[in-house]
Amino acid sequence: MEGIINNIDRRTLLKGGAALGGGIIAAGMPLSQVIWAAEGKVLKVALPMELATLDPGFYGASYEVNVMNCLYSKLTRYKPGSEWGWDLEAAEQIEQVDPTHIRFRLKKGIKFSGGYGEITAKDVKFSFERIFKHKSPDMPDLGSFDHVELEDDYTGVIVFKTPYVPVWYLALPYATGHIVSEQAVMEATKDGGNFGMKPPAFSGPYVLADWKQNQYTLLTRNPEWSGPKAGFDEIRIVPITDIKTAERAYQAGDIDFATISLDSLATFKSNPPPDTKVEEHSSLRIIWLGMNMDHPKLKDINVRKAIQWAINVPQIVDAAYAGYVNVATGSIAPGLIGHREKALVPPEGDLAKAKEFLDKAAVSDLQLTLDCDNSGIPSIIAQIIQAQLSQIGITVQVNTQDPGSYATIGQESDGDRWKDLQLFIRNDSSLPDPSYYMGTFVKAQVGVWNWERFSSDRFDELNVQAMAIEDPNERAKLYHEMQDLMEKSGAYRFLTNGATPVVYRTTKVQPATRPDGVPLYVDFKPAQT
Amino acid sequence: MLLYLCKRLVLAVTISVTAVTLLFLMIHAVPGDIASILLGPRATPEMKAQLYQQMGLDKPLVVQLATFFGGLLHGDLGFDVFSQRPVADIVLEQLPYTLELILASILWAAAIAIPLGCYSAVRRNSAMDHIVGVMAVSTIAIPSFVMAVYALLIFAVSLRWLPAIGAGEGFADELIHLLLPSFAVGVGWVGYIARLLRASMLETLGENHIRTVRAFGVSEWRVITRYALPLAILPTVTILGVGIAWLLSAAVFVEVVFARPGIGALIVQAVNSRNYPIVMGTVLVTTFLIVIATTVSDLVNAALDPRIREEL
Repeated sequence: MEGIINNIDRRTLLKGGAALGGGIIAAGMPLSQVIWAAEGKVLKVALPMELATLDPGFYGASYEVNVMNCLYSKLTRYKPGSEWGWDLEAAEQIEQVDPTHIRFRLKKGIKFSGGYGEITAKDVKFSFERIFKHKSPDMPDLGSFDHVELEDDYTGVIVFKTPYVPVWYLALPYATGHIVSEQAVMEATKDGGNFGMKPPAFSGPYVLADWKQNQYTLLTRNPEWSGPKAGFDEIRIVPITDIKTAERAYQAGDIDFATISLDSLATFKSNPPPDTKVEEHSSLRIIWLGMNMDHPKLKDINVRKAIQWAINVPQIVDAAYAGYVNVATGSIAPGLIGHREKALVPPEGDLAKAKEFLDKAAVSDLQLTLDCDNSGIPSIIAQIIQAQLSQIGITVQVNTQDPGSYATIGQESDGDRWKDLQLFIRNDSSLPDPSYYMGTFVKAQVGVWNWERFSSDRFDELNVQAMAIEDPNERAKLYHEMQDLMEKSGAYRFLTNGATPVVYRTTKVQPATRPDGVPLYVDFKPAQT
Repeated sequence: MLLYLCKRLVLAVTISVTAVTLLFLMIHAVPGDIASILLGPRATPEMKAQLYQQMGLDKPLVVQLATFFGGLLHGDLGFDVFSQRPVADIVLEQLPYTLELILASILWAAAIAIPLGCYSAVRRNSAMDHIVGVMAVSTIAIPSFVMAVYALLIFAVSLRWLPAIGAGEGFADELIHLLLPSFAVGVGWVGYIARLLRASMLETLGENHIRTVRAFGVSEWRVITRYALPLAILPTVTILGVGIAWLLSAAVFVEVVFARPGIGALIVQAVNSRNYPIVMGTVLVTTFLIVIATTVSDLVNAALDPRIREEL
């Protein structure tokens, strides 16, 4: 070895370095990828934020659930594809016995890692009940859950205090439905509370091999997993908070699947990076213009209706989203129970009718404020609405602020700002059940998340009823009526449900997503080469 | 020297306490409720109350501040209830990434600016001097994040020579991941340092002792490197120390653009989510870092110039 080193002179070193560098560059491969090219099938993806917890009973954001899906089993799981549905996962059988009881029977042989044994009904009971015992913020997902009764090692009955139909889409196939090991969690936390970023055992196809905050999360195959084999040996997840950075990371080849911004969609479609497929998925979001019904300037329903009718939604969709999103017909997104075919106020509005309402209200020189967050598109929407309302003589002043401050502008607990709130743009995410959308607009939420201060006994009554109806068609009727009530109040102008465009490298991956474009990494497969 | 170090230590503590207290008051004056932001639309008042209690936000401001400083005496920066980890662990994990970014940026800036500044001074009023002058002002005018975006688009996206995101794994990989971000931060300093060094060199080259050295027939290269540069570089060293604050703020943008771990990325996330313990812990550490950097630059100055050493 010493001889070799002594024989390398400066010229040889430079020649060698140049040859190596030239080879790497000519091959078009980033240096890091050359040096650290991993063995086996590796999926490289991005998360929009850093993980804060991997405890499914205390999750804070949907992207955390994308990772949890790889680490733990659930009774059921969302079906990949373009229509909402669920499949069995850890459950061999599951049925609604009566409105307040769901019986499940677990598959045998699904093991926890670390020698914590097989998943039993006792672990399911522990996983659900700890959420309530420790007053997790995620309790609402399980609605009126009461307890789990054990019948034998593999069979149990989930008991609710009152009928709660949303559990089939909000909890069982989602975060709070994940099963953790009672023994492992008790050993790790002593009281069964939140274990944060230190999962003590895994029950899914992958285990958490490494996590470096703000750098990466590495998942590797769970050697004790006995279920269907996942497509990739490793999943490397990088937190990228800025969606534009994620797009550049994809273009540079650092990740193989990415959600892109709607304003980049046209560019990706017209000039896609090599071997790239662009897919457009619907979204569960709802973006709307809200009006504070308690504000003196907006107390008169005629003023609110004038605003509703003056707004041309397709114009907003074209200008703010280049036409890549739908025109919303209500708060509930397409594809879900309760989605309305059309809104009561036509999407294009009617300026003559808007002026009529304004005349009825007998107001002139109306000056209003319109608040929104500064995250980009909401402020563009606000400017379009400003221009549209000027056509009926309403002057609008747009106020933008950081998302953190804006998030509480209508809340009574955060000072008196809610009293000055007039018009505002809300951009809320949701889960695939209509109850998730409607919970915001009940009377109990006035001054909390119901910034319109919309208050309807009928709406609240329907909201309770709709949670208990199993027949989707009957349930849908109630949600249609609820959205009609909202729209008739004049306090809402539904704009769009958004869209989720994703890109992936066809030479590396065959992705699988929920209908709203959320990735289901466990179902991702390597590309056929 | 010992007395000087003690004075600087007291100053460091005073500045850090003042900065953190001001920040604490500002955080609580800004609208935006952490419980509402983090727990979302379905959070009940009970859940919010529980979160306030877990984070100690249910106590009066004075008590919260006293608890924070009390914890500091034991090396405890608080606890992040979301990740269930001590804030000190989180901040100290991220700190090395920012430090290496700053250090590499300084190296970039010094490596480019010092030769340019010297050359401009030696070839005063030449065409090259004018070109360097224009380039210097240009690099000052371009913000770091703009430089970062373009560097990324050219070298990572178009040419695919370098990685676009992350900090890498292992020494060689980390070094490669550091090239673009540190260049983006460092290049903004090239103009400042080159102009400062040029002016300083011109002044030094006109001094009597340099004329004397030249009269002895010492080569021009030796005059510049051995006699003029060590003196002319003193203001630059001071600026580099003070400039750590500037580099830290530039690092915030660059860490977001390159999705790099670090103090900047951490603070952006924490401010957006109103995660007060992380914000406080991070600012405390960065404040302390800046005070240490200025102290080190004073000590380096003293090492280079005996006159300053005597004053200390």
